[in-house]
Amino acid sequence: MTKTKDEKGIENLKGQIRKGKGVDIGTMFVKCAYKEGDEIVFRSQRNAFFEVEHTDFTKKILDNSKVKYIIKEDKLYVVGDEALQFANMFNKETRRPLSRGVISPSEKEALPMIELLIKSVVGEPTYKGEIVYFSVPGEPLDAEFNVLYHIKMVEGFLKTLGYTPKPINEGHAIILSELAEEDFTGIGLSFGGGMVNVCLSFMSVPIFKFSVAKSGDWIDQQVAMAVDETASRVSAIKESSLDLSKEGDLSKIESALSIYYNHLIEYVIENIKQEFAKARRLPRIANPISIILSGGTSLPKGFSGRFKQILDRLKLPIPVGSVRMASQPLRSVAKGALIAASADESKK
Amino acid sequence: MGLTGTEADIINCVARLRMAKKDQIRRQVGFSLEYIGFLCRDLIRRCYLVFSEGHYFLAKDGIKALLAEETPKIDRKLLKEVAEEVARQISGELKRTVKGIKITVPMNIGIKKETGFETPPGERIKINTDFDFPIEDESLVLESNIDKIGIKIEKEKSDDMDKTVRLFKKMHKPGGNGLASDSQSHKKGRKR
Repeated sequence: MTKTKDEKGIENLKGQIRKGKGVDIGTMFVKCAYKEGDEIVFRSQRNAFFEVEHTDFTKKILDNSKVKYIIKEDKLYVVGDEALQFANMFNKETRRPLSRGVISPSEKEALPMIELLIKSVVGEPTYKGEIVYFSVPGEPLDAEFNVLYHIKMVEGFLKTLGYTPKPINEGHAIILSELAEEDFTGIGLSFGGGMVNVCLSFMSVPIFKFSVAKSGDWIDQQVAMAVDETASRVSAIKESSLDLSKEGDLSKIESALSIYYNHLIEYVIENIKQEFAKARRLPRIANPISIILSGGTSLPKGFSGRFKQILDRLKLPIPVGSVRMASQPLRSVAKGALIAASADESKK
Repeated sequence: MGLTGTEADIINCVARLRMAKKDQIRRQVGFSLEYIGFLCRDLIRRCYLVFSEGHYFLAKDGIKALLAEETPKIDRKLLKEVAEEVARQISGELKRTVKGIKITVPMNIGIKKETGFETPPGERIKINTDFDFPIEDESLVLESNIDKIGIKIEKEKSDDMDKTVRLFKKMHKPGGNGLASDSQSHKKGRKR
């Protein structure tokens, strides 16, 4: 059987594309993707910490129970998923190095914490100057902050580790990971912890990209205020048992979550419509485009159904084909960043 | 924070009816009474609506803000009518209270948008952000057991990744300073 030109090209690429890494630096998780043989490996760490009393005894208990911690001077912080469990146990909130998608301005330990978490997830480069693409949020439409500081700090830090870092928009990374079959044309939506990132791409080129500074954390906070609970507890319920397709017999927290999910989805779609209205010289897109939903906040059962329902009512100014979840909603940003890094590495 | 479509629908509905009950809004806008109630409460909190004796009204500050903003879906003509009515009412009340003082009601209440210095279209200032910013590794002072315990690892078959990389390379010219800068947008689109 004769091989097509594409297949030959892919064979030639084998062995080369193992270089390069993709990192998703999100408000909730830091995740790194790299290729090992015919598999993609994902290393991840929850981006949260919780302060506990620092004694030798506590440290020993945590070591024995394999609970991750970080010590800074006289402070002991539990990190990762266990930080969330500790926070719930003490009925308090976790602390986070990132807030609304960028390095938290109000968290004094943000910088060393995020550096350590990135280092533990990304590891050392395979060779000096290895290309790593790291995800960055789009400029927020509804908040005053700028993302440049965040980008420069992460970029600078990855350089100190020996990498050649390059930023990639979070929504764009989703398109690279999920829309190859459609020539990288469509809308990538990442419903993260701190932000929703949106990118409309045409033939792999971003047409517009932006973020809104409302997402999972906002939902948690609003629900917590509405039902007098802690945001950490609301978040735990949201992540473990929320079903947005359920219509009746909802608990107080589920009802509030359902209301705020509606609000968030509507808010995002209206902002997309506004960006379409603002955009000049939109390319002529003949075929209906696909919309990919991704990110931790999109995980509850029934999310895509709810999204479609609201989209049907609000309608975008271009024809929409399928609206679907990313194949792996928690991995698609890191995977998209890895695709960009691999493509760049194979050019060398 | 801007208004969502349903919120704008609610504002338009209240403007049309001048005063509206929750059920009237629900009939015009859709959704459940609970959701409409929730949105109205939020609009009251944000000073767009006021609630009195079972009815929702447009708040004066809200009208002002909506006229000043370029809020999509808001019926600005209708809002201006309401604003003029409100202004007339205020003027009438003041006239009754303070005799002899003339208060004129401007017919066009539209609020002038403060634009400041505007860059002519097509001449957007470009700021070079492609610079190296040296960072110290602040995490060196931290002690941790993360490496000892290990990090969560998941794996998946790469399946078509090579093909995707190849296709992406073909369509896009990688290199440069990443894929996050706006300067790469709007220029390389190809027509299908």
